Formats: sequence, C-alpha cells, structure tokens
Amino acid sequence: MKNVDMKMHVKGQSVFIDDIKAPIGLLNAALFTSPVAKGRIKNIDISAAQKSEGVAMVITHKDIPGKNQIGHMIADQPLLAFDEIEYIGQPIAIVVADTRKNAKKACQLIKVDIEKLEPVFEPREAYQKGLIHAQKRVLVNGNIEEAFKKSKYIASGRIDSGGQEHFYFETQRALAIPKEADTIKVCASCQSPGAFQHHIAEVLDIPMHKVELEIRRLGGGFGGKESTAVWVVAAALAAKLLNRPVKLVISRNEDIATTGKRHPYSYDYKIGLDENGKILAFEVFLYQQAGGCADISPAVLGRSFLHTSGSYCIPNVKITAVSCKTNIPPNNAFRGFGVPQGTFIIESALFHASEIMGKNIIELKKINLLKDGDFLPYGMQLKKTNAVRCWETLDEKVNIKKRIEAVEEFNKNNQTKKRGISVIPVCFGISFAQSTLNQASALVNIYIDGSVSVSTGAVEMGQGVNTKILSVAANTLGIQKEKVRVDTTNTSRIPNASPTSASTGADLNGMATKFACEELLTRLKKLIAKKTNFFDLDKIRIKDGIVYLCGAKLDYTWEELILDAYNERTDLSCHSFYATPAIYYDRVKERGRPFAYYSYGTSLTEVEVDILRGVYEIVSIDVVHDVGKSLSPEIDKGQIEGAVIQSIGWTTIEQLRYAPDGKMLSSANSYKIPDIKFVPKNFNVMLLENSENPYAVCNSKAIGEPPFIHGLGAYFAILDVLRKIRKDKPLPSLPLTPEKVFMYIYE
Amino acid sequence: MKTITFTVNGQKYTREVEEHKTLLRFLREDISLTGTKEGCGAGECGACTVLLNSKPVNACLVLAVEIDGKEVITIEGIAQDGKLSPLQEAFERHHAIQCGFCTPGMIISAHSLLQRNPNPKREDIQEAIEGNFCRCTGYLQIIEAIEDAAEQLKPKKSKKR
Ligand code: FES
Ligand code: FES
Repeated sequence: MKNVDMKMHVKGQSVFIDDIKAPIGLLNAALFTSPVAKGRIKNIDISAAQKSEGVAMVITHKDIPGKNQIGHMIADQPLLAFDEIEYIGQPIAIVVADTRKNAKKACQLIKVDIEKLEPVFEPREAYQKGLIHAQKRVLVNGNIEEAFKKSKYIASGRIDSGGQEHFYFETQRALAIPKEADTIKVCASCQSPGAFQHHIAEVLDIPMHKVELEIRRLGGGFGGKESTAVWVVAAALAAKLLNRPVKLVISRNEDIATTGKRHPYSYDYKIGLDENGKILAFEVFLYQQAGGCADISPAVLGRSFLHTSGSYCIPNVKITAVSCKTNIPPNNAFRGFGVPQGTFIIESALFHASEIMGKNIIELKKINLLKDGDFLPYGMQLKKTNAVRCWETLDEKVNIKKRIEAVEEFNKNNQTKKRGISVIPVCFGISFAQSTLNQASALVNIYIDGSVSVSTGAVEMGQGVNTKILSVAANTLGIQKEKVRVDTTNTSRIPNASPTSASTGADLNGMATKFACEELLTRLKKLIAKKTNFFDLDKIRIKDGIVYLCGAKLDYTWEELILDAYNERTDLSCHSFYATPAIYYDRVKERGRPFAYYSYGTSLTEVEVDILRGVYEIVSIDVVHDVGKSLSPEIDKGQIEGAVIQSIGWTTIEQLRYAPDGKMLSSANSYKIPDIKFVPKNFNVMLLENSENPYAVCNSKAIGEPPFIHGLGAYFAILDVLRKIRKDKPLPSLPLTPEKVFMYIYE
Repeated sequence: MKTITFTVNGQKYTREVEEHKTLLRFLREDISLTGTKEGCGAGECGACTVLLNSKPVNACLVLAVEIDGKEVITIEGIAQDGKLSPLQEAFERHHAIQCGFCTPGMIISAHSLLQRNPNPKREDIQEAIEGNFCRCTGYLQIIEAIEDAAEQLKPKKSKKR
C-alpha cells in the first residue's frame, strides 16, 4: 500500500507547521543564542531589544514560570542559559515580535557579557579531564587476555568517524496557541509527543493535562526532532507569557549551526583472529563526541556499545564506552542511533585484520557471520538469524566472486581509474534499548456512518508509519482502506507516547492498533451472533465491508452493522495498549535481552576512484534486506533506498567544519548532501523472501534505520582502492571525502 | 512598497509589495499559496522552485517585484481542474515521495524538464533535478517516476499526429 499522504503532497496541499493558517494575533519568535563556546554569563542587557520595532517581549530565564530545564535524560540543559554556557548556539533569550524579521533584528540588539572559559572540543581530551555525561560503560565477555594470547593475527589501532547534519527539509519549528483556563495547544514538528508535552508543562508550570501537543506530519526528522525540545518549548513559553499565538521557525543556517548532529566517535581497537580467520577477541574503546549537554547521547552511546560486534560471532570481548562532554551543540539521535558507529568500528578492525592475515576481507566476513544459537556479547542467544541467508541471497543474485574478479580485471586494464568493492552485512537490534519506552497505545473510533478514525502515538515524518497503521486497521477490521483515516498524533487522545524512533513506530503502534481493532471486531461479532443466532464467532468474518457466515456472504454491510451496533448501544470506541514482551536489560551486569529481534541484510558496493584527482563515483549498490513480511513493499523499498543514500552521504561527502573557537562553519551553501547525480547507475534493492517475524506486527520487521548500515559499503569500497595503493598509513577516518582520498594517496 | 501586476496559476493579481520581499515569502504570505516550501532560503535545495515565465527559478532568490508583468506557476497550478497531471500521478505510482517537503519543487523542475524535453534520458533527468535535493527518498523512485511520466506522455502525442 502506498503512502496515504501522497495525493496531497503532489499538489502542495499537505499542511506543515508553517502552512497552518495564521491565527488572529499571531506573533513570531526568534532565539538569541550564545556566541561563545564556554563561559559564564555576567550580564544580559535586553533594553535596546525591548525597544526595537515590533517587539512584544524579550524573554530571559527570569521570566520562566516553572523549571528552566529541558534535559532529556539528565537535568543539565536549561531552556534559557542563565549562568554557564556550554556551546555556541545555546539559547539565552527569546525575542517575540510582530514579524520574524523584526524578532531577528531585535536579537542583534541584545548585549550579553560572558566571561570566557577554556572550551574543550576533542572527546579524548574531555575524557582525560573527567568531562563525561552519565557513567562509563564496560562490558566484558569471555576471557579477552587468554583469547589474545591464542590469536595468530592481531590488529590494533585508532580510527575516527565524523558527524552528520540531519538536514531534514523542514527545520525545527512550532506554533503555540493559548486557550482558555491556562491551557495551551502546541502544533510542533517533533518526534516525541509525550516527552515534549512533559517539558512544556514543567517549564510553563502547568499540569500536563493543560498541554495539548499535536503533530500532523514532519518534513523529515531522522531522529533530530526526538530529544532536543528547545524550539517547541520556547514557542509555548512565549505564547503563555504573552497570551497570544506564537510561531517559532528557525532558518536553515540557524538549524545547521545550533542543533545536534550525528555523533562523531573516536575509537581504539584491537582484534585477534585464529589461524583460519575466526575472530577470537575484540577490544574496543568508544569515545563519543556528545556536546555541551547530555541530551540523548548516553542512550545513543548505549546502542553503539551493544552493536560493536556487528554481524559477527565474537566469543571474547571487552567494550568500553564514554560519552564525552565537549563544547559544541548537544548531539542527538540520527537514523541508526549509534549503531552505524558501532558497526563501523568492527568493520574497520576486521578490515585491518584481513590485511595482516593476508586474507580477502570478504571471505573473512563470511566465515564469522552470526548463526542461530550464537551469543551476542551481552548474553542474548540468537534465533531466526538471517545473516547467512541474506549473504547467500545476495551472492546468488550478484555472484560475489565474479564481481571481485571483474574488479580485479578492471584494475589491471586501467591505470588512472581504480575500482573497489565491499560487502557489508547488517545486524540491527530492534526495540528501544531503554525497555520502558517499548510501549504504545492506540485509540480506534468507529462513527455511526461506518467511517473509522485511528489515533496512535506514532509520528508521521515521511517513513509511512501512518500508512502502515492504516493498513493494519483496515485489514484487521475487514473493511476498505478508504473507510479508515489516521488522525493527528495528539497528546489529548494518546497520552505518554514514546518517541517515534528506534524504527519501532510501526511495530509498537501497529500492534496497539491491531489489538484495538480486534477488540472492536469481537464486539461486532457478538452482535452479529445475537442477530443471526449463529454463535461460532470464529466463523463470522468481515471482508471488504461485508459480513460472512461460514464463508457465505450475507446481505449485511459494514455500514448497516455499525448502525445496528450503535442502536444496540455497543461501545464503538476502543483504546488499546501494547508493550513488547520479554525484553530486559541489567545495566550493572551489562547482560540481558535488550532487543525483541534483529533486522538483517547484506549489500555489495562498488566504486570507481579517479586516483589522479581523488574523486570517485559509486558504480553500483546491490542490497538484500530482511523486512520480514512487509506491510508495504513500496514503503520499505523507499526506506532502504533513502537510508542507503543518506548513509553514503555520511560515509563519503558530508563533512562538518568548525572554526577553532567552536563556531559552525558549515552552512546551507557549503554543506553538501547527496544530490540526484549521486545515485549509482546500478542501484538494486531486494527484499528477502520468506522471512517471518513472530516478534512484530503481522510478521513484519522494522525498516527505518537498519538499512542505513549498508552505506558503510561506500567507505570500505573506497578504502579497498586506497589500501591497494598504499598501506604505510593508518586507516583514514570516515567520511572519505574526495579531498581526503587525494591526501591519502599523495601526502 | 511597489505595486505589481502579474499572474499566478493563470489568475491575474495586482498587489502592493515590499521591495525586499522574496517571491517565496510573497507567494506564501501574501497570496496564501503555501505549497511552495522553504528548505534553505539560500538557493541551494530547490524546495522553493516555481516557474517564472515557464522557466524554473528558486523563489527564495527572486524578489517579488521581479515578477511584475510576468507569469508564475506554482505547484498548486500543476493539476488541471483537480485532476493530477501524468507527472503527479507518476510520482504517486512510483512512491517518489516520503516526507513530501521537497516534492512541490521537485515536481515543478520535472514538469519543466518534460515541457522542454519530452524524451529525457536518465542523464537529462539528473541534470534537470540536480538543484532539487531530497533528504528522504534516495532519488531512485523520483527518477523512475519522471521516466514513467515521459512514457505516459508519449502515446498521446503520437495519436495527435
Ligand atoms: S528554499 Fe530556495 S533553494 Fe532552498
Ligand atoms: S521527500 Fe522528504 S525531502 Fe524529499
């Protein structure tokens, strides 16, 4: 089934936050943020700004009625700074004016006196100085010392991976409208209805039931609208203080300069293999570049931590991970939530080991793939493992050996252009690593005309979650899809919703929807039974909006049934709840079953590098990905293609640049994301056939993030070329920009 | 303030406009056509693409006063009498849309390409859409949609002949 919003999208009729008709008396807000990376505020002078044209109010920390705090995991993030400054772009004041332009103009008149302190930008340096968020995490499994002693080949070193700007097309924004009796409605572009509603209530000092947070759709999120609530809460605060509707929309360059990004990491690794290439031991230290506040970084780190064994069986490990406090804007969630970084390090280490052993990396990967019965480092035993199946399916499709030979042949015949190849296996744990979040609820209402409305806590941001939920509802009720509408995500209908992230949106909310529809169906079947004197409920069916008894069609439509149900005083509204069963994790022992299941895949990437210039081209990508029994093959295919290209952006061309004082230098004009020319000539995506998944709704599998891992193939395929040219240097850091490729070859 | 006369999607308007206001803001705020989106405001992303005298332009880089005496087509003007154009249908059929924020600009650029070149090769499509970024789709389904729309448009023309 195709995305239900598309008809509106193609006509430009879908409504995003900035497209909502301006309510009467609307004011516009802008943020004044810190120009200094680390310091202490001595004085804030807003007098000139207050007098500026069109200004209604300049809000500082002193005006906040409730808590000045929006920390997502740790209370270390004030909404408006009042003392310590931790990064350039940290909000200090909110200016509210008649127009956005006037609000911005007034921002320039604010004078702030900040005593400058020494900032830290390097994660390793921060760690040395004891500057970390939350606790250091250490996971030990097996006996690492013994295993290294037994290893025939050992590779060790240091490597780094870079950040990535989300570049969701719709920047951070919200519209807040005060209502009667101290209540407020906030329409926001955010992924966490429950958490953001809570922050608003705390900052405004009103109970949560007075805050209605509503989300229709997002122009992209990718994790960047999950945890940092600044822009949404700021709009709500301004509306509350002025008792007028307030809109806050930030510009692209403000968004790039002040919002969190994908976390850069620095890694120390050591890997040991036996004489056949089997991995015996892996030791890794992860330094996460977290930024000035904890935000959601410790959770992201946790996921990297749990994925450092990638798709491989590794009996002995020691994983250490720290979230380093550095003076840049707090980094946050970004598609993959730390898993791409976790996978990158094991892939790098194994690549390095293959060089030392002198064995082809692709063969080495294959012999170490996870199989049923294998244990992951945190003690979870695998079932229904599709790592090998995905690999073999890809092999059948592309013939990996032949492809390697073709590349070798090409390289023999070409002097200035060289091709490289890489195969990347994917193993991605599904569920929020924080077990509490694995819950969702749905509200399904049937109206007397037979139309159905479904509300869940899931946020639609282009990933098609609403379409999947709609199809679950229509299929469960046995009615045409046109009869069902998925309503906005609204905290008054669905309380305490978990963020739409960790790729779990459809899994959790789809399941809750299914439960609610099943309950309604049972109520309706009981009514049919009463009316027909046929009491075997299992033999009553509704299909395409018609009632069937024992397979025989009745002259009884859905609409008639619903009207009868109403007249018989049947409850036609149902709320239902789902919590993922059997997941738990012990943070002290670092053992447990943190994920409901795993998503698998394998891909082959081929690149061509112009070794005179350092520029390259992605020649082909072939992907096999396990989506279980797809709820919508079109949507899943789109998710895979989008994730792969976005990821190749991260591994190749997307590079963030900062000035020495911590100021973001990247902007809309200089930060390049993949454009349409980036798409490889051959880009084939195949969904793994006959994959069943009893752990998620209708046997499907989560799809949002796992395929992001395939994009690592571009880095490693380029690396394949580079290492054939020279090996006298350590492995280069990710991303491999053309500049870096050039420097690697010639410096 | 300057008074300008122009047409948008076939409708004639005379309006007063501030000299420094961009066409993007003007369309969204003064003409209430919010289909055209701001993705960057810097001429980089193509989300704001509209047709100005049949040529695709970034509305965030054009000043509203520049449209005086000219004709603008926005995304709202592509469907005729509520009926989707073959291109819009192809976008839907090929699932060439995820969040939908880049879509209006994307469709305008593709529409303009098909007007200039009804038989575009893949390279022509990539050339024409190069200035339209999409962060969601990975572009493949967009290319397929445009190829298919070109295909759809063909038989009608040969019939006419
Ligand atoms: S908004 Fe005009 S090009 Fe991006
Ligand atoms: S569909 Fe989201 S940016 Fe293109």
